[in-house]
Amino acid sequence: MRKFDYPELDECVYREELPNGLHVAVIPRKGFTKSLAYFVTDYGSIHRDFSLDGKDYHAPAGVAHFLEHKMFDLPGRDVSAEFAALGASTNAFTSYDMTAYYFSTTGNFQKCLRLLLEFVSTPYFTDESVEKERGIIDQEIGMDLDTPDSAVFQNLTEAMYENHPVRVPVLGNEESIREITPQVLYDCHRAFYTPGNMILCVIGDVDPETVSHIAREVLGDERKSVGVKKNIWQEAMTCPKAYTEDAMEVAMPMFDLAFKCEPLGKGSAAIREEMVADLAAEALFGESSQLYLKLYEEGVIDTSFGGGFETVDGCAMLLCSGDSEEPETIRNGILDQARRLCEGGIPEESFLRMKRSALGRRIRNLDSFDATCFRVCAYHFADFDYFRFPEVYRSIEAGEILDFLNRVVTPERCSLSVIKPLEKENAQ
Amino acid sequence: MIETKLLFPGVTLRCCRDTRFKQGAMSIQFLRPMAKEESAMNALLPAVLLRGTRNHPDLKTITEHLDALYGASVNPLVRRIGDYQTTGLYLGFMDDRFALPGDRVLEPVLDFAGEVLLEPLLENGTFLSSFVEGEKKNLIATIESDLNDKRIYAMGKLLRVMCQGDPFGLPRLGEKEDVSAIGPEALYDHYKKVLRESPVEIFYVGSAAPEAVAELLKPMFTSLQREPVTLAPQTPLRGGTGRDVVETMEVSQGKLCLGYVTPITNRDPEFPAMQVFNALFGAGMTSKLFQNVREKKSLCYSIGSAYYGTKGIVTVSAGIDFDKEAETREEVEKQLAACRNGFITEEELTAAKEALLSSLRATADSLSALEGYYATAALSGLALSREQYMAAVEKVTLRDAVEAAKTVKPHTSYFLRGGNP
Repeated sequence: MRKFDYPELDECVYREELPNGLHVAVIPRKGFTKSLAYFVTDYGSIHRDFSLDGKDYHAPAGVAHFLEHKMFDLPGRDVSAEFAALGASTNAFTSYDMTAYYFSTTGNFQKCLRLLLEFVSTPYFTDESVEKERGIIDQEIGMDLDTPDSAVFQNLTEAMYENHPVRVPVLGNEESIREITPQVLYDCHRAFYTPGNMILCVIGDVDPETVSHIAREVLGDERKSVGVKKNIWQEAMTCPKAYTEDAMEVAMPMFDLAFKCEPLGKGSAAIREEMVADLAAEALFGESSQLYLKLYEEGVIDTSFGGGFETVDGCAMLLCSGDSEEPETIRNGILDQARRLCEGGIPEESFLRMKRSALGRRIRNLDSFDATCFRVCAYHFADFDYFRFPEVYRSIEAGEILDFLNRVVTPERCSLSVIKPLEKENAQ
Repeated sequence: MIETKLLFPGVTLRCCRDTRFKQGAMSIQFLRPMAKEESAMNALLPAVLLRGTRNHPDLKTITEHLDALYGASVNPLVRRIGDYQTTGLYLGFMDDRFALPGDRVLEPVLDFAGEVLLEPLLENGTFLSSFVEGEKKNLIATIESDLNDKRIYAMGKLLRVMCQGDPFGLPRLGEKEDVSAIGPEALYDHYKKVLRESPVEIFYVGSAAPEAVAELLKPMFTSLQREPVTLAPQTPLRGGTGRDVVETMEVSQGKLCLGYVTPITNRDPEFPAMQVFNALFGAGMTSKLFQNVREKKSLCYSIGSAYYGTKGIVTVSAGIDFDKEAETREEVEKQLAACRNGFITEEELTAAKEALLSSLRATADSLSALEGYYATAALSGLALSREQYMAAVEKVTLRDAVEAAKTVKPHTSYFLRGGNP
């Protein structure tokens, strides 16, 4: 494996691409008892249209998540119980554009790693087990429908996007999951769970060579074909709906407010754009921005307010959310503030302070095994080495932030989603 | 690895020196009895203090100062620990070694924390009413926002019904009407009392030597007129008969919460066995509840149990269809009966013990887990060190876990469902 050093962050990473196409990254952390392994595929809920070996597929909504649930079945075995017997805990999650399986353990690391690689690479689905899972996922969908945070974001994406499948919930819906059969799951697994479409990222006090050795042993050396995603989502840089509203059992109105951004490409230019956007969000409505302080002191927002730049394969947005009686005031304030910043500029001193703060928080975040693994994987799929973030920050100039705000923070690109309390006396 | 120092009478500093992390953390907690008269004030106090100090009189100067300290965070910390409530600050900051040459982080962050706690911005000798009113509004919004997460909301309701007459039934952040009633003078008087009387628990984890941390903290307390009081020890749940409560709301999924009592608390030798029972019964993906109620019966997506060792309470919560209440109750009772009757496999026992041990071991690897453990364990009445606790868990036998299960008795239930009342 090849070692990369980042003395500024007190980090190093061992990386290798195996003959089967799997990317392996190991982040050694001397002296830690816990180790964490992420086995991730570059495939999520939005990748429903693809071709494999010349054949076209269109999968029902929610299939990536359904597949994630069903991967834990092996013939006659219970994967969670096996991890538990090794003293480890395992879980998984599905996002719009990634599916991640992971375990964390304080012992038996090698056995756990083998088990992780084995179960994620072994599809096993039966009519009966798929049927049973539908009941569980129905309940998960029900829970999601009752979660105002999910609902407010769901309504937002429907208002903002005409074609991009981010409009459809990761879980799918009650009808779409009825279309999922074992064959559908097998097809999707074959297309996207091949080593060439995946990364294995391990963090902990482990030997890097052992990790890559085990990965080769369990997964073999054969390079299989990867499904070709048909990401043909045309989106204008305007929002079909500027406002959407719903009512739920909430105590106070809550909102998601977003500005549609150009989707990011790959590589260092894209990451630079992402960090520019992050800093732009800070300058615009971060905790030390003029706008945040004003709105907080006026009682329009509270500590629930927050936001940043969100990016998904094929779409991106500058998003903020929180609880407020006056979401429109916040929208107008943000539009005004962007104009003011673009006209008046950002003083050099505050820009440097902002960058120092952002950098410090990113460094602090490296203490989290989960956050670090997640970022290394996500940035790998975007063709960028995450640990290079300090140099990117240093090179960003205030002018870039202003260009971004000038382009993005406009009424045409803006959409506001609000969930209001139901109009009745709240139950006791 | 934990060094405990008594800085002053009633001021305890626990230090975990660890150079593996890229940041440091500190919690400063003032201990209060959990009581309706003051719980809202304790919850409000740190938020008001963080609105302005003499040197940094508004949010702008405060956030600029923290930004310049490499994005350090200083946040209100309010906990409910059995019969106690704590009020104070939680600090998170980058380690000094990543700062530019000549820059320091730990020292100015602790200075600033001292400033927040001891030098609030005052007006006519009391808190600014604009700060107090603003933060009252925010606190009420936070209390009300429990409703947004139906699982949290339902669990809060269960504990409230179950612990009527016990401090544990009081909400962590106080009651809305008590927040509304707070005025600047009353809060300021209470603040003075907190500084004067409360035992203080400080926990630090990071790369600095305990002596150095102690020296940095001492000035904070030398100027204070302290008359620290001692709080009564933690008590088990005080009696009361249980009830079965049903509430309706416009929701698509029901939340069933079941409350049980056990005489075993974290002060008892059976505590580790009780924890193992809880892990077996309902904590995690290998537990009986997850494996049977979710995996075998597909009754729910989420199900789990929790054991509150300070009080001797076990709870179960599940998200289910409205018409599955009876079936779920029956299935949960069946799994509890299986534990009581010893229908536990060797694998289940090992998995439960390993899960507990693994999480105790991994505690040492995370700043927030270290803080969460060491800043609350002693207060909650747990007399075991982490190492003793682990050794005791190792020794738990199947029989011990069964005996613990037998002590668990149903007490109260709460069901949140849709439809008309």
